[in-house]
Amino acid sequence: MKQFSLFISLIVLFCAPFFGQIALNFSDIFDTTSSSHMLLWEIRLPRVLIAFFGGAVLSLAGLVFQSVFRNALTTPFTLGVASGATLGTAIGIVFFGGIILWQYIFSFAGALLTVLILFLISKALKATQTNSLLLVGIALSFFYSAALMVLFYLSDFQQSYSIIHFTMGSLSVIGLDYVYPITFISLLLLSVILFHRSELKLLLTSLDFAFLKGIDVNKTIMTFLLITSLAVAVCVSIVGPIGFVGLIVPHIIKTVYQRSSDTLIIPTFFYGGVFLVFCDMITRNLGTVSDIPIGVVTSFLGGPFFIYLILRKNKQ
Amino acid sequence: MLHIDSLSCQILKEVNFSLPLNQNLTILGANGSGKTTLAKALCNLIPNKSVTFDNKTLDQISPKKRAQIINYVPAKLNIYDEYLTVLDYLRLNVIDEKNFTDFDIILNVLDMAHLKYSRCVNLSSGESSLLMVGGAMIHNPQITVLDEPTANLDQEKKVKLYQILKNSSAFRNKIIITHDLNLAYQLDYTILYLDKGSVRFHGECRSFFQSDQIKSCFGNYVKNIDGNYMVNYNETV
Repeated sequence: MKQFSLFISLIVLFCAPFFGQIALNFSDIFDTTSSSHMLLWEIRLPRVLIAFFGGAVLSLAGLVFQSVFRNALTTPFTLGVASGATLGTAIGIVFFGGIILWQYIFSFAGALLTVLILFLISKALKATQTNSLLLVGIALSFFYSAALMVLFYLSDFQQSYSIIHFTMGSLSVIGLDYVYPITFISLLLLSVILFHRSELKLLLTSLDFAFLKGIDVNKTIMTFLLITSLAVAVCVSIVGPIGFVGLIVPHIIKTVYQRSSDTLIIPTFFYGGVFLVFCDMITRNLGTVSDIPIGVVTSFLGGPFFIYLILRKNKQ
Repeated sequence: MLHIDSLSCQILKEVNFSLPLNQNLTILGANGSGKTTLAKALCNLIPNKSVTFDNKTLDQISPKKRAQIINYVPAKLNIYDEYLTVLDYLRLNVIDEKNFTDFDIILNVLDMAHLKYSRCVNLSSGESSLLMVGGAMIHNPQITVLDEPTANLDQEKKVKLYQILKNSSAFRNKIIITHDLNLAYQLDYTILYLDKGSVRFHGECRSFFQSDQIKSCFGNYVKNIDGNYMVNYNETV
């Protein structure tokens, strides 16, 4: 089963750049003057890479949030961290239009602020009250979307269009400029989490247990939340808020592997990437005039799954 | 030397006592008298400045060092990850690779070898209690606090745990919280009796188990029958 899914995944990854609305002329792909060459190397390949690392970051972030907050429904999206990053990016678009660095900075500031609020609230709540934390996350999301509405009123027509396009989530980028930061941040996230995997494993029992085994629990949780928020912020500022990936992938991986979460870091990272590449392949090949936003596909797959998850949790 | 100097937190009021490192302790007291609160304060799970170890508060000691000094085993096993196995759990208790103990030996001592690859969340409450004791044996700091270790155990396992506590070198110094007077009597550790958050008795086991002392702490709810302390179910409440 696992070898089979690995095999299928590698095929998906390998084939993804070659499928699209415009058929590639395979004899031309190494000819630098041809349109096929440009399509493959400037558009398709960067897109697949961004989809892969974006999906990987969002999935691993979901796994980390679920472990740290000890609740199967917590992800950067359900807790409002991604909405914070979205609002930050929109602020960057409206007030510092066109300068991409400011979008990153505001995106990270939005995510960081949300994480700090959540961390302080989770300290004030008892460990058993993660449900209240989820409610806080939802309240924050509503607050951010209200603020986003205010931004629409303040922005001109073109800015509004960029914000709307951005909030739908899109992988259509040209060239490798966006590929570098997302690759860097996702590999950084992966290595930090792998480096701290023994601490992560201790958190999977209980926070008291981790404390008694000599872990500085607050510092560890803060490290996890900061690096994860940074990665999610970079990711959101490039591809927009793509929902549900962080929720579905860790749960599917847990159900298939049936191992403790600290051993699932690499599978979650890898298959999260493959999932988004696969969803992106669907959006590109539906035959519509323009590409359907990727968020539509992941949410269509993710929405029903989320409901199923809540129902199953209720049954237990 | 563990020293507690006017500790007041939650229900606890002005608790003072010292525990030399060659002494074991049994903490007794009614439900809600502050036994678990005291235990959590001893290992800084409830942060405080009243508990000192060799004249340093636990805040002044690094987390790693603190883990080598004191460990607390709660009454209930709490595990978030449903796929964590018994072996995974035991591995997490290795604090110092140098003092590494063979997991199979521990599992055999506890009669749990057949559960090695079972998931912790599927264990019965008795098995979970024993698993936590096994983990604490692997951790083995200077002081181990066990919170009602026998509460969920059947008779045979109670005897087994008693023998582990009594004879083996499994633990260095022990602080046992219990409601089981027979266990407290047989262990013969120093007794600390808590009443509504204050220390009402602190002294030798023998002097605690004199009939007037028992009577003043437990009324007529406890009967001594042939040197065993039994709950008197016929007493009207």
